[in-house]
Formats: sequence, structure tokens, C-alpha cells
Amino acid sequence: MENKYNMKSPAVKRLMREAQELSQPTAEYFAQPVEDNLFEWHFSVRGPADSDFEGGVYHGRISLPPEYPLKPPSIMLLTPNGRFEVNRKICLSISGHHPESWLPSWSIRTALLAIIGFMPSPGMGAIASLDYTQEERQRLAKKSLEFVCPECGKILNLLQEPSQLTNENEAVQAEAREIAAQVTMKGESNNENPVVEPANVTEEPISVVQQQPPQQQVPTVSTINNDVSYNYIIALIVVALAILLFRRLASSMMAA
Amino acid sequence: MEMVPESEIQDEVILKQQREIEKEVAEIHPLIGNIQPLTCLLKEYMDDPIYTNKLTKLADVYRSLRRVRPDGNCFFRGFGFSYFEKLLDNEEEWKKFQAIVMGTKDQLISQGFPKFTLEDFFDSFMEVVNRLGGEGKMDAEELSRIFNDAGTSDYLVVYLRLVTSGQLQKEEDFYQNFLEGGKSMREFCQQEVEPMYRESDHMHAIALGSALKVGIRVVYLDRGEITTSPPEHDFPEDCTPSVYLLYRPGHYDILYK
Repeated sequence: MENKYNMKSPAVKRLMREAQELSQPTAEYFAQPVEDNLFEWHFSVRGPADSDFEGGVYHGRISLPPEYPLKPPSIMLLTPNGRFEVNRKICLSISGHHPESWLPSWSIRTALLAIIGFMPSPGMGAIASLDYTQEERQRLAKKSLEFVCPECGKILNLLQEPSQLTNENEAVQAEAREIAAQVTMKGESNNENPVVEPANVTEEPISVVQQQPPQQQVPTVSTINNDVSYNYIIALIVVALAILLFRRLASSMMAA
Repeated sequence: MEMVPESEIQDEVILKQQREIEKEVAEIHPLIGNIQPLTCLLKEYMDDPIYTNKLTKLADVYRSLRRVRPDGNCFFRGFGFSYFEKLLDNEEEWKKFQAIVMGTKDQLISQGFPKFTLEDFFDSFMEVVNRLGGEGKMDAEELSRIFNDAGTSDYLVVYLRLVTSGQLQKEEDFYQNFLEGGKSMREFCQQEVEPMYRESDHMHAIALGSALKVGIRVVYLDRGEITTSPPEHDFPEDCTPSVYLLYRPGHYDILYK
């Protein structure tokens, strides 16, 4: 990898250091560059204990911009999880602040801990956020263990066995919660080129419940009224698209 | 299916515009420009008697100017370049500065800044500082090249921002008085000091100047009706200035006597 990159570039030096720092899998997280592309990483995180994601292991991608660490990485979950949409870019920023307010002193490790810490927080209808029911999330958590990444293989094997020393796990989780309290994770709305999903993640549950606090029990949509709910969802998409299109037209007319 | 909140759409629009502006600015302005006579600014204010008057007075004291890219980092970048340029001619002060910078690393780590990333920025910063004197000393041309290489230049800016943030939090009792709007010092630092492209004001200048023991004189040039010379402020107060910056609303450039 050394020959391929300009070793004088701070981004390259930094990412080499991060790859080295994260080279040993831990029980909670693991991330490494894919093949020999230093700016494209895959990661796995364990679902936080005492949450709907407990027992789950989730896989995803992190893309680093050429200006990293001055500009934020974008994160994309690949394993269906019920909290973040899959194949949708999510960015980290300082909570309650303008987008792209990334701190250069954050790192890939910060991003991983933010994901772990942020998972149990309510989605609140934010872009790329999901508020699936507890049952659905728990079902996905079990199912996540079968997830196979075309590049990394079976992701369950990528993390270390959870440590018997609960202190260690707790320390990481406490750090994750602390980071999550300071950040917001938000999707990009103008996802013009949606990524084609790998075959093994296409099965998406349809019991989507938007803008519902997770603790509220919402009955899962049964298979009988699948068609009805599909129609409902499609109608909503059409309306949303129409609104967006109208807004864009209106604003471009005003600009002209 | 997804109802995107209004504020998020607004954010996206703002971000997009911001990126376009950034790109335009980068195409026109180098990160650090060449030395020009101060009178070159007169052309910008030909129809403006207030500015013309003030600039003419200013030109008696300051002969030239070096423009800094107006990207929100101009205070830090201008400060860094101007002071490093001065150190190239002052071996003794360079040695003192080296020791001061060395001390900032442990200080910041002890304040809880993440060690791993802090060391990354510190190493890059120190690498440049170490070459401002001694055997491997660089020349002014190389310094200018380093500051115009976006990657390295921005790394230097980040470290100066971290030092500033550290100082503000260390001396929180003092700086707290300048804070408005009920923000905590930590919040202020995370939102207004550490992120790139955030603009700087007095507080940043006092904190950076005190932390690195470098006097900064800022000359204010604005539309205020003053018949005397433009006002000057030294940061920290009562210092001997080593760095001279020209402030026009929203922007800093480097001044030379």
C-alpha cells in the first residue's frame, strides 16, 4: 500500500496510523480498509447490551474524503438493523449544530463508537433513520449473525468473542454513550445514486413505523395486509416526491 | 415514505451553496499570497473616501500586505505563516518557541484531548517548527510552499485551533466572561474553535497568543467614521507584538512594517 499513495499527504499518513491502531479486532468493533483502498473501509460493530440490538453484529462501509480528517467520513450500514437505513449515507456532526461540523480530532474509532452509542436513540424521523418496533429490531439482531459481506466474509467471525471481563465491555459502552451524547448522525437527503444492494440484504421487513418512540408497542404488520401497506407506502413516496419536486421547481423559478 | 423535516432540506441547500462558494474562493485565492504593497488595497476602495483615507494613513506605518485565503481559517493561517516567517530570522526565539510547542502536547493530552489524533496533528506541526531553525532550516520560499499545500497547511491550522481550544478551557474562569448565549466553554470550543472554517474573534486571538506566548497586533479597518489612524489592539494586552494582522470585517490578512 505504501507505494500507491503519497506518503507525504497528511490524510494518507493519518489513515495508515488509524489502520494500524484498529488492526486488532475488539469484541465491540473492528474496521479496516477494503482490499488496498485506504479511503474505503468496512466495519463491524456489536449491538449495545441492554438494547434492542443486543446480540446483533452489524456491518457497514466508511468512505473517507480526500480532505480527511478535516472533512467528515460518511458511514453506510449494510446489515438491516431497524435503526439506520441500509445503503444510505450517514454523517456525524456535533449535536444541535450545523451539518458537517466535524471535529478533526475525531477519528474512525470515534465514528464506530458513535454508531454503537447512537443505535438505541430514537430515530425521530430524521433522514436515513428508522424507528422499527422492538420485535423487529430483535428479529434483525438475530438475523444479522448470518450476514455475509462479499468482501469480508461472515461478519460474526470478524469481531472478537465478547470478553468475560465485563468491565472492559462496559468501559467501551460508556465511552460510546458519551460520544453519542455529543453527536448527531444524519443522512443525506439528495441520494441521487442509490447503491445497488447486495443480494443477501434485499429482504427488508415492511413493518416500518415512522416517528414512533421505540418503547411504544406497535403491532407488526401481518402478512395478510402486506399489499395494503405497500400501497400506502407507495402513495406516501409519490406524495413526498411531488412535494420535493415542487419545492425544487419553485426555488429554481425564484432564483431565475 | 420519508417526511424530511424542513430544516434538514434547508441544511442541504446551505451546504451545497457553501461548497460552491468554497470552490470559487479556492480558485481565486492562494492559501497564502505574495507580498504586495499595502497601497494595492486602494484599488478596491476607489470610490470610498472613508477607506481611502484610513488606508492612506495606515500605509505610513505598514508598507506591505500578504493576503490570506478568506476561508474562515485566515486568522490561524495568517498567524502561523507570519510568526513562522519571523522565526526564520530569529534563532533564539525559535528555540524558545520549540520548547513552548513541545509543552503543549502533554498539556492538551492531560486536558482530555484524544491522544491518538492529537499526536497526529502535533507531529505534523512539530515537523514544520523543527525546520524553522538549526541545521535543516528551510528558506522563506519553502515555508510559503508548505503553507500553500492544502493538506499540510490545514494540519497546521488544526493544531493551532486545538491549542486555542485547550487554552480557553484551561483558563475557563477568565474567558467565560466573554461568552454569550449561555453556552458552556466546552460547547463553544467544539462549535466555534475546533472545527475548520469557523471564524475567529478576540477570544481566539487572546487565547492563542497567551498559549504560545506570541504577541498579536490586529489593526481594524472598517467603515467607522474615525479621522485618526485605524484602531489597533494587542492580544494578549500589553504584549510586544510579533505578528501584525489587518482585520477587515470577517477577514484577516498579514501586515508588514
